[in-house]
Amino acid sequence: METVFVISALKVVGYGLGAIGPGVGLGLCGHGLCVGSARQPEMAGKLFTNALIFGAMSEALALIGFVLTFIF
Amino acid sequence: MNFTGDPLSDISAPIEELSTSLRSPGHVIDFGNGVYLTPYIFWLIIVLLLVCIGVTMCVKKVTLVPKNKFAGLVEYGYDAVRRNMGQEGVGHGYEKHLPFLASLFFFVLFANIVGLVPSFRTPTGTLSVTWALALVSFIYFNVYGFKVKGAWGYIKSIAPKGLPAPLVPIIWVFEFVSLILRLLTLAVRLYGNMFAGHMILGIFAIMTQAFLIDAFVGAAPLLALPAVIWFLFLVLMYALECLVAFLQAYVFTILSAVYIGLAQSEH
Repeated sequence: METVFVISALKVVGYGLGAIGPGVGLGLCGHGLCVGSARQPEMAGKLFTNALIFGAMSEALALIGFVLTFIF
Repeated sequence: MNFTGDPLSDISAPIEELSTSLRSPGHVIDFGNGVYLTPYIFWLIIVLLLVCIGVTMCVKKVTLVPKNKFAGLVEYGYDAVRRNMGQEGVGHGYEKHLPFLASLFFFVLFANIVGLVPSFRTPTGTLSVTWALALVSFIYFNVYGFKVKGAWGYIKSIAPKGLPAPLVPIIWVFEFVSLILRLLTLAVRLYGNMFAGHMILGIFAIMTQAFLIDAFVGAAPLLALPAVIWFLFLVLMYALECLVAFLQAYVFTILSAVYIGLAQSEH
């Protein structure tokens, strides 16, 4: 019982560690979008689409971590 | 459920129950022989009917200036899909993808919003439904990639052009893995957001209930104060979930649009 509890707690800790990188990545992505569209508002639409692509890419790691907490 | 007067010992059993009921729900309709409808699939069918009936009723008589109020609403949504997702996501030649994108958007939006009504279930809160939706989108953009570029052309175009020759196989493998991961991330993003959102709403509701009842059971009026705070959190999270329900439908559709655009474009 104790071991099961420790393992299920460690899964959540692992997910938290895995979410650090994507968090930084998404923040940088949003920063770039805000700065870019403030400097050149007419490019905002195109920048937003690109920001979504790169946001989706960096988010992938966090989502894999989310799946792994359910699998193991 | 027994309330002992100590909130911290009262919450673990309901939370366990909530987690099981969200992850492996019971049967709504049992057809026998092991064939049954889970609540998720039951609400999936209802959402499907809602979208079909709602949209066809609204645009039964298409006029240049929409007279029906709901027709105006549906046309506004379709126009948003056309401008934001079609023109900016897919880019060149977006017109033929609009019916697919619009049905995807309206379906996911209705499915997310249905779950916000208490005691209803959101169909997108289970991995099987989001997996199927992501698979539809994945097959759609790959098939269009094959159609536009041809089989060999599409396989080659996974690695971007203009790379030095020795790098091409390495980058191709990385890009291929990221292509396959699109299927996983599309499915899990929607599922994770809806599931975690409903889990949090449920936990906050359980907290409110446990603290409030224990204030009466244990005759400790001070325990009612945390109940009020948990209830405020619950209202705030509910407002956030309303935003998330729309946002996830938007993100799911625009990512599908962007993937279609990437599969078609010559880069």
